[in-house]
Amino acid sequence: MLMQSGADAALTPSDAVTPKTFWLPQGASTIAPESDWIFNYINYINYFFFFLVIGIMLYFVVKYRQKGREVYARGPAHNTVLELTWTIIPTIIVVVIFFMGFKGFVSMKTVPQNAYQIDVTASQWAWSFKYPNGATSDDLYVPAGKPVKLVMRSQDVLHSLFIPDFRVKQDVVPGRYTTLWFQADAPNADGDFHMLFCTEFCGKDHSRMNRHVYVLNDMDFDAWVVEQGRWLDAIPEEELYSKAGPKLFGRCASCHTLDGKPSTGPSWGNYDGSGDIWARTSSPDSTHKVDGKSISELIGQGKEFETPEGYLRQSILIPGKHLVDGFGNAMPTFQGQLSDKAIDALIGMMKHLDEFDAKGKWIGKPEGK
Amino acid sequence: MSHATHADSHGHDGHDGHGHDPHGLHAKYPFLAHHFDTPNQQFESGKLGMWAFLATEVLFFGALFVMYAVMRFTDPEVFSFASRYLDTILGGINTCVLILSSLTMAIGVRAAQTNKKGLLVTCLALTLAGAIGFLVIKYFEYTHKFHLNLKWGEAFYQPVDEAEAQLVKTEPAPVANPVLAIASPNPSAGAAGAELVSLPPVDRTAIAAPKAGPDGVVSIESLKEKAAAAASHAHEEIPHLVDPGLPPNTHRFFAIYYIMTGLHGIHVLIGVGVIGWLLVMAMRGRFNSNYYAPVDFVGLYWHVVDLVWIFLFPLFYLIH
Amino acid sequence: MTTLDARPDAIPAEAPDNYLTFRRGVLSWIFTLDHKRIGVMYLFAVLASFFVGGVMALLVRTKLLFPGEVEWMTAEQYNKAFTLHGAIMVFLVIIPSIPAALGNFILPVMLGAKDVAFPRLNLFSFYLWLLGAACAVWSLLAGGFDTGWTFYTPYSSQFGAGGTIPVLIGVFILGFSSIFTGINFVVTIHKLRPPGMTWFRMPLFLWALYATALIQVLATPVLGITLALLVVERLFNIGIFNPSMGGDPVLFQHFFWFYSHPAVYIMILPGMGIISEIIAVHSHRHIFGQKFIAFSSIAIAIFSFLVWGHHMFTSGQSPLMNVLFSAITFSVAIPSAVKVFNWLATLYKGSISLNTAMWYGLAFIFLFTIGGLTGIPLAVLSTDIHLHDTYFVVAHFHYVMMGSALIAMIGGLHHWWPKMFGVMFNETWGKIGCALVFVGFNLTFFTQFMLGSQGMPRRYYSYDQIEGMAEAFKMYHHISTGGSYIMALGFVITGIYLIHSLVAGRKAPANPWGGASLEWQCSSPPPHDNFSTTPAVGDCYDFSAVRWDESKQGYVVDTEAHIAASGKGH
Repeated sequence: MLMQSGADAALTPSDAVTPKTFWLPQGASTIAPESDWIFNYINYINYFFFFLVIGIMLYFVVKYRQKGREVYARGPAHNTVLELTWTIIPTIIVVVIFFMGFKGFVSMKTVPQNAYQIDVTASQWAWSFKYPNGATSDDLYVPAGKPVKLVMRSQDVLHSLFIPDFRVKQDVVPGRYTTLWFQADAPNADGDFHMLFCTEFCGKDHSRMNRHVYVLNDMDFDAWVVEQGRWLDAIPEEELYSKAGPKLFGRCASCHTLDGKPSTGPSWGNYDGSGDIWARTSSPDSTHKVDGKSISELIGQGKEFETPEGYLRQSILIPGKHLVDGFGNAMPTFQGQLSDKAIDALIGMMKHLDEFDAKGKWIGKPEGK
Repeated sequence: MSHATHADSHGHDGHDGHGHDPHGLHAKYPFLAHHFDTPNQQFESGKLGMWAFLATEVLFFGALFVMYAVMRFTDPEVFSFASRYLDTILGGINTCVLILSSLTMAIGVRAAQTNKKGLLVTCLALTLAGAIGFLVIKYFEYTHKFHLNLKWGEAFYQPVDEAEAQLVKTEPAPVANPVLAIASPNPSAGAAGAELVSLPPVDRTAIAAPKAGPDGVVSIESLKEKAAAAASHAHEEIPHLVDPGLPPNTHRFFAIYYIMTGLHGIHVLIGVGVIGWLLVMAMRGRFNSNYYAPVDFVGLYWHVVDLVWIFLFPLFYLIH
Repeated sequence: MTTLDARPDAIPAEAPDNYLTFRRGVLSWIFTLDHKRIGVMYLFAVLASFFVGGVMALLVRTKLLFPGEVEWMTAEQYNKAFTLHGAIMVFLVIIPSIPAALGNFILPVMLGAKDVAFPRLNLFSFYLWLLGAACAVWSLLAGGFDTGWTFYTPYSSQFGAGGTIPVLIGVFILGFSSIFTGINFVVTIHKLRPPGMTWFRMPLFLWALYATALIQVLATPVLGITLALLVVERLFNIGIFNPSMGGDPVLFQHFFWFYSHPAVYIMILPGMGIISEIIAVHSHRHIFGQKFIAFSSIAIAIFSFLVWGHHMFTSGQSPLMNVLFSAITFSVAIPSAVKVFNWLATLYKGSISLNTAMWYGLAFIFLFTIGGLTGIPLAVLSTDIHLHDTYFVVAHFHYVMMGSALIAMIGGLHHWWPKMFGVMFNETWGKIGCALVFVGFNLTFFTQFMLGSQGMPRRYYSYDQIEGMAEAFKMYHHISTGGSYIMALGFVITGIYLIHSLVAGRKAPANPWGGASLEWQCSSPPPHDNFSTTPAVGDCYDFSAVRWDESKQGYVVDTEAHIAASGKGH
């Protein structure tokens, strides 16, 4: 993945985290400085106008107090120039403020390409975070220095995911997906974390629906997510492809179909007449073309890959190395996200594609097998 | 009770004790309330008040029309499919009935202004007949749809009888509370291993599908067979549940249909009440060229009720 | 029943006939068509609701003294308490407070009319209010409601406590009460102005009520139909808002805020109108920029219909809509600022008497300035993302709804109290009460700005598990709760001396403050039909003909000089 690894090394936590102030908590995301700057800027304008208004009010009240019962006060009843002045000046100020907020909002809403995606499911009253390798967690773990995109859905009522230190918030709505992204550059020290809240009232334990956010440095995060993904180990080898395969395939399904229909990536089914993904890579006389050449030039004794499994494995881990004809380099790497066992499960699923329906659900062995 | 009798002697307003009536207008016009100076001021006030009230009515229905627009924008196929189940003939007759009753109402207002009591009574009676006729026709429309289970909510997906239940093999799960039914107990307790055999975790095709209703994808061929079987089953039309073209969320069309036509029906019912009251008053000779405000205002109301139907009819009946 | 027939001529000469003595007995109140009596009934009903809502607020604040769970209040009870507080204060108190209570009493008198255009509708609207309040009680008996006053779906349509449907019906009915008041005011101002009362002779309070009435008439039906749909959704699961049946919960929010944002101006616009009166009368000085203030009310009323989406920046509506709504939102800021500057300019070279009402007026300017300015970071897209649904929002809208709208209502009550009941209250206690309310209010709600911007979400029962911040939040909550007790004390004192004045207050002159608008020219309290002859209308902000009269212990307006001066002035 595209990472600012150079910047990563240069950043110490003190650079990447703005300290807590009277008004705002510590700012730990790349969005925070701009958002805070606007907040403070508005605050100073507000201080100015507040003290101006109250100062003038108190001065007038003291200076023009009623003397005895005298009532006849002479003062101008209108002054068009003055009215226009205090109409136009605030107008200019708020237009400037609007554009600053607009600019900040655009960068908040523009998700960087190949952001690290985490699926979020909210329910009464829990959060569940699901990582690309299928690992899940109750607290949110994110890699430092990488843009992270949360794709969120709710199982019951409205929720809202709020991380004050990151200055991000987004409602989680049943029946639709919402997203938000952030990038936290500074890893948390041991035992340290950021708070994550639900801010949309969701019932009895609304106030208990909060969790921790742990920012880990790249290596720690990779290790954590692999460790967290060890759920695979519980599955016996013979059931690996039928049980773990569909679960893992969920991540692939956004670009790869099983029934030969066109999509972002080549279908696992037969789409070019050369058979499904296992048939076209394992058959020596396959018409399947990779890098403009027949696939048989890549696989076999003494060639780049001894076995089709080797080719498929590399296609998952380093997808840009060889490109199937007709498709661009669009697939992110899954290096560090999928264990060997997970890759075995996926390749096993490719080998037994006839045992799965079009959505990737395992429907059992066909008759006579 | 002296209070009430005393008030009555001073018109129907309940106020009294005013010695001032510089032009004798209050004495001349018993209907003139104490806080108005002239009959014209009273009439103009009433008319503006009526228009303001009608503005709230328009906003009331306006919100529903916006709701309709949003729903039709998101599910256009639902509207073109479900609209076929509405009876255009009956709807058309009802439109004519309402427009004619608006005409008799307008003639009635004119009759009141020109002191033609007989014409006024006739027109009000005809308008009342139109309003009741509309409701009777609407009643037949509703009962027919109820008979076919063209209803709101989950009831839409219940087979009408045993025969249809046989045809609808993918029986909808009886879901009392759909949300509770799908909410997983507690993800944190689930841990990673607990959902090993589940589907891909994020199934993007499943977002908008209703939890009630035909489950999943059924092959078109089998549905066509069912449709053919249903047609030979002596139903005059294909039951919606076995229609191969039934889009998801079709129950929402009937929800908005019943809400909008139902609310309109309530307004017609209120119209029946006030027009009936006008008729009684007219027969007693209460209205004349000096005092016809109630006829005028009810007329305005009735035209708005008519107008709302003129929008409802094409938007529901004439869109396929 | 004989008391009902008390005739004017039966009353001794030294106690001239007024609307309170015109007829006696309970039935004469129940069936009254007099706008003043209806206004007074509204006033006491609203104040009673304010007491209940206030007790709920104190319960909520007291719970928040403790970060964790407490035995005497569970999370469910807490949720019901804050929901009840919000719903009572919005629908039963603030929305009807100024238009229906003070407005009903003052509008016709100020306008020079004998009554509102439709007295029967007026009484009907009051009984609708009572019916709506009864529905709220019904809801409590049916298990209460815990959806928050915003009734967001699908929580309200699928979950929520057992009393949700009754309260929805109640709010629906209250909506019609509000609509009928609005229709009445629009027609009264259009059709019952006496000769000489041109649009720009009209006091600014009436302009504000007029703008408010327009919003009431045009926005409230949308709330009505939305809540009706919600009831149907909850009963029959029809799939309009309920996502599990294919509905769209965000659509509910659009419909809800299409009313409820304008409703914010139903609450604040009349308050602004009262402040225009208080500042001008107690400064004895022509209001500055009368036309600008008048038009700014209308401008606010119009803009209020275009900005509802700013409640939904994080709801999942499209970013483009967020941008548009944010931009339009700033257009509301300008007319509000114009009003504040005009009030300040009105003080300039005035003759300012610091009566209790004026204290409330100055407190309003202070609190509304804070409330308005803190609206800016909430209207700005990037900062609202952080502040949305936190205590910052809670603090902001309490500064506007309570610190402004309700303070204006209390100020107006003091301003017109002598007129309404013919008695003077104790000024010293009045100022003590005002000071306590002011100090308590700021302690209560200013701390909530910091709570919110530091990240404390709203509607939280407990905050002990917010590691790292629990201690800081606890300190802020303690200050806030302490402030709420001080404020409550201030209101109790206010209630006591006002009730005391009814029994033992000095008799009020017709014109205790030196006002020049029409309501100060009839006796205190006003006679049954307000004006025995159609009054001559001058410039209501021209104080040149106002003089102190020692014998009456009040001000008098030399009518002829007043009319003459008004003619010159224009």
